[in-house]
Amino acid sequence: MIFSANKRVTESLAGLGEISLLAKEALLSLSTLKVKWNDLLYQIYFIGVKSQTVVLITGAFTGMVLGAQTYFQFHKVKMDTVTLAVVGVSMCDELGPVLTALMVAGRVGAAIAAEIGTMRVTEQIDALRTLATHPVDYLVVPRILAGFIALPLLTMESICLGIGASYFVNVHLLGIDATYSWFNMLRYTHDIDVVIGLTKAFIYGGILTLIGCYKGMTCGMGAEGVGRATTEAVVYSSITILITNFFLTLTLGKIASLL
Amino acid sequence: MIEARNLHKRFDEQPVLDGISFRIENGESVAIIGRSGCGKSVLLKHLIGLLKPDAGDVLIDGENIVPMDERQLLNVRRKFGMVFQGAALFDSMTVEENVAFALRRNTRLPEAEIARRVAKILAVVDLSGTENKSPAELSGGMRKRVGLARAIVYEPQIVLYDEPTTGLDPIVADSIDKLIMRVHGRLKVTTVVVTHDMRTARRVSQRVLMMHDSKIYASGTPDEFFASQDPVVRQFVDGVADAEKN
Repeated sequence: MIFSANKRVTESLAGLGEISLLAKEALLSLSTLKVKWNDLLYQIYFIGVKSQTVVLITGAFTGMVLGAQTYFQFHKVKMDTVTLAVVGVSMCDELGPVLTALMVAGRVGAAIAAEIGTMRVTEQIDALRTLATHPVDYLVVPRILAGFIALPLLTMESICLGIGASYFVNVHLLGIDATYSWFNMLRYTHDIDVVIGLTKAFIYGGILTLIGCYKGMTCGMGAEGVGRATTEAVVYSSITILITNFFLTLTLGKIASLL
Repeated sequence: MIEARNLHKRFDEQPVLDGISFRIENGESVAIIGRSGCGKSVLLKHLIGLLKPDAGDVLIDGENIVPMDERQLLNVRRKFGMVFQGAALFDSMTVEENVAFALRRNTRLPEAEIARRVAKILAVVDLSGTENKSPAELSGGMRKRVGLARAIVYEPQIVLYDEPTTGLDPIVADSIDKLIMRVHGRLKVTTVVVTHDMRTARRVSQRVLMMHDSKIYASGTPDEFFASQDPVVRQFVDGVADAEKN
């Protein structure tokens, strides 16, 4: 049992080392501008455009549920008109970036791990190397860059739709005064909340694409290996996003309070 | 010139290469034969730097590639073309995109010139008109030929073949053998073929290296192999399961 635990710790540390080396190699590749624009544009389309449906549905219904639930509590203390302000701050700071990242991790992280993993088991990555192409330049860097670009844009959409959907529920279904709702939302939701949300989204975009690429590049042989890599990419991305969110909330909140 | 010096490689304590040394001259055609799982493909991957040995050196034109990192190896690999056992075509691309891949990524050739070279090389492998097909639409033999076209389109000095005729019927295998000979003759490349098919080894190579027990067991011309009375060589050449019972 001790041997097994020791082995798991060793494997985890080795994995951390490997993913750090992959990140370093990607940074090196980025600094030499080896990425091709066509590859990057395709990945932005795949990660950004094709994730819109799932992200928008998540944002809209999260905003609606949060708006309704906040209203039910605030109505008891006659604070109905600040409901939308709570939704605005929550969507910008936490729910927008985190839920968008989790949904994209499920869709894109899994797809990246499966695609690169399949390329690995069918020797396509070795073929790339024999054609004098570094797999990090061709497979990893465009995906990470696309993650950095697409996640903040998707998060912005999610935030806007969440607030809009909550406004609809609060004003048209629950009868809150529209002017006061909107005024309070603008009063309590500051620029810094949007900046915090987009900063988080930027970081999560890098995390989920890096983990997806790492799991694909190191996946085991055969269909079982690809399946496991796909599952692990989603699980590890999601856990990392949630843990990172706590530290980012503390750090960015502290920085915001100093401004 | 390719030179392997005292190569050692283990996977999970299992020795796969145990002190392998040989030299292949420019323009030579060499077949590496041996039973399935004896380490032939592992050896081939060491020659192009896809795997690193635990000990020993691999020299390409006098340059040791073992200490090189992946980025340094990219330059060395421009001298190589490699045909994989399962073709390893990029399944998200068409035949034309597969063949043109290295030209588009590593050269600044205009599109018209790339299209001309792709059409020319597809004609060499008898696959004209398949440019827009996807790899999934091709038969096993066609995939191997596209893999060969992709490996030679940028005119490398050395072409490595990993089991080029495995899984193909005898007629298609014969066409692949002829293609290997044609490429060797036309492009004047150094050819290294890993195979367990003695017919292929005999047809395409000037020299044969036989692997057995993780070592180079025998070396000679194809005719010397077929005439050999060594029991291990004889068993492999005759394709007999247990030499002593026969």
